[in-house]
Amino acid sequence: MHKPELILRHKMFDRVCHWFVVATGIFTFLTGFSFFYPSFQWLGLIAGTPELARALHPIAGLLMCLPLMVMLARYYHHNKWEKGDLTWMLAIKDVMLENEDKIPPIGHYNPGQKVLFRTFVITSIVLTITGIMMWQPYFTPFFSTVSVQWAILLHAVCAVIMLIFVIVHFWMATWVEGSVAGMLYGYVSKAWCKKHHPNMLNDESHSEK
Amino acid sequence: MSDKDIAASSGLSDLNPQSRIRRTIPKIAKLFDATKCNGCKACQVACSEWNDLRAEVGTFQGSYQNPMAVSADSWTIIKFNEFVDDNKKLRWQFTHSACMHCEDPACLTACSTKGAIVQKSNGTVELNHDKCVGCGYCVSACPFGTISLNPKDSKVYKCTMCADRVQAGQEPACVKTCTTGALKFGTREDMLFIAEKRVAQLKERGYANAGLYNPKGVSGTGMVMVLHDINKPESYGLPADPKTSLPTTLWQDVVKPLGTAGILGAVAVACVHRITVGRNIVEEDDPIAYAQQHHSHPEKTDKE
Repeated sequence: MHKPELILRHKMFDRVCHWFVVATGIFTFLTGFSFFYPSFQWLGLIAGTPELARALHPIAGLLMCLPLMVMLARYYHHNKWEKGDLTWMLAIKDVMLENEDKIPPIGHYNPGQKVLFRTFVITSIVLTITGIMMWQPYFTPFFSTVSVQWAILLHAVCAVIMLIFVIVHFWMATWVEGSVAGMLYGYVSKAWCKKHHPNMLNDESHSEK
Repeated sequence: MSDKDIAASSGLSDLNPQSRIRRTIPKIAKLFDATKCNGCKACQVACSEWNDLRAEVGTFQGSYQNPMAVSADSWTIIKFNEFVDDNKKLRWQFTHSACMHCEDPACLTACSTKGAIVQKSNGTVELNHDKCVGCGYCVSACPFGTISLNPKDSKVYKCTMCADRVQAGQEPACVKTCTTGALKFGTREDMLFIAEKRVAQLKERGYANAGLYNPKGVSGTGMVMVLHDINKPESYGLPADPKTSLPTTLWQDVVKPLGTAGILGAVAVACVHRITVGRNIVEEDDPIAYAQQHHSHPEKTDKE
């Protein structure tokens, strides 16, 4: 029987990194919600008490952002802008409506994913810096009150932007079936590549795993 | 006044408001007359005695001011501001530095924990330590720098206007002990009346710029001050235009509603898309083989 070729899309290190970021991210976002929305302070109880949520949120946040930055560095070479990205972007409507034959071919990552990549780069860096600035009682005393006020604002803005992109990420990953399996076990099928990332098959790094 | 007499609370909004009954209690205020203060620090000592506060002994910083700043262990200090007047004469301008009990408190606006900071019907701003989570948003929001986070327990502390004494019909400890009459206590109306008379008196005596510090940016304060020169509040270590800062306002009034709309919008679009466009499934060249291979262990190693 003919066996369909499976192609390694995510290496083990990246997969472990990804799911570690998911776990710490869920904790960070839920506790973050408890400080953002007074009415949702009960979400802080996932840490035990609201005080514990406050104390653990920055640590979980670092455990989310630092491995995320490592991942982003490792995926950088897949996310450079390429020729053809613009035509794909202009055909975004066909992508969303699954008009297969109208979608321009793209490689390992499509331009939408590249935008997501850039958003995660910016937000993870800004969240880490502003998070350290507002980390009481350890680091905040070293900054002026005005800069801490702006840090608090930027932290919230970046957290909201990151969350919106996480929602989009989750939506796309679960919509394009086979993606989640790819991130869990590493492999996607040749047919999956042909449909979603055809140029990936030309990529030499995938010819031999 | 009972502990139910709360006029405003942190963590509430127009959709989720504070109960607004029993707001008929007259507002109270402390009046600090800088022109009468001689820097004896009796108020500072009385505060630490009544509230049982013992700040760590600091080191000499080139000033009689000690400690140099308000902290979780010292809720009021006398600031020894060195001021050179028009005749090139150096003089001290003392400031009784403590929570100003703002009418529109920036700390309360910045606090995202329901009920951790409340404003009582008598106008005083009070902290509920069992609710405080120690985020320190109030500390960075306060334009006067008179609320402090205690690193030992990660809770914030500040002057309570001696709520326990006031409730029993007494004046705050600092007022009780003031040796020169620079500190007075009473209804806000009375304090403003006394302050006005004092300002008029000072003007007669040649202090043409004498005035009352009761900043508009925070809708007035529960501690008003008579100053020699109202045009130079900075020379007393006071901000010229204290108010809830722009980033704090943007965070509460813009980022929260817009962010919520954005998050809900993203979820809604995703749900509608999923239901209308449907699944995005790959047709495998050889589905049976694919299923077998995917469910059995892949032969290839995925290690780097």
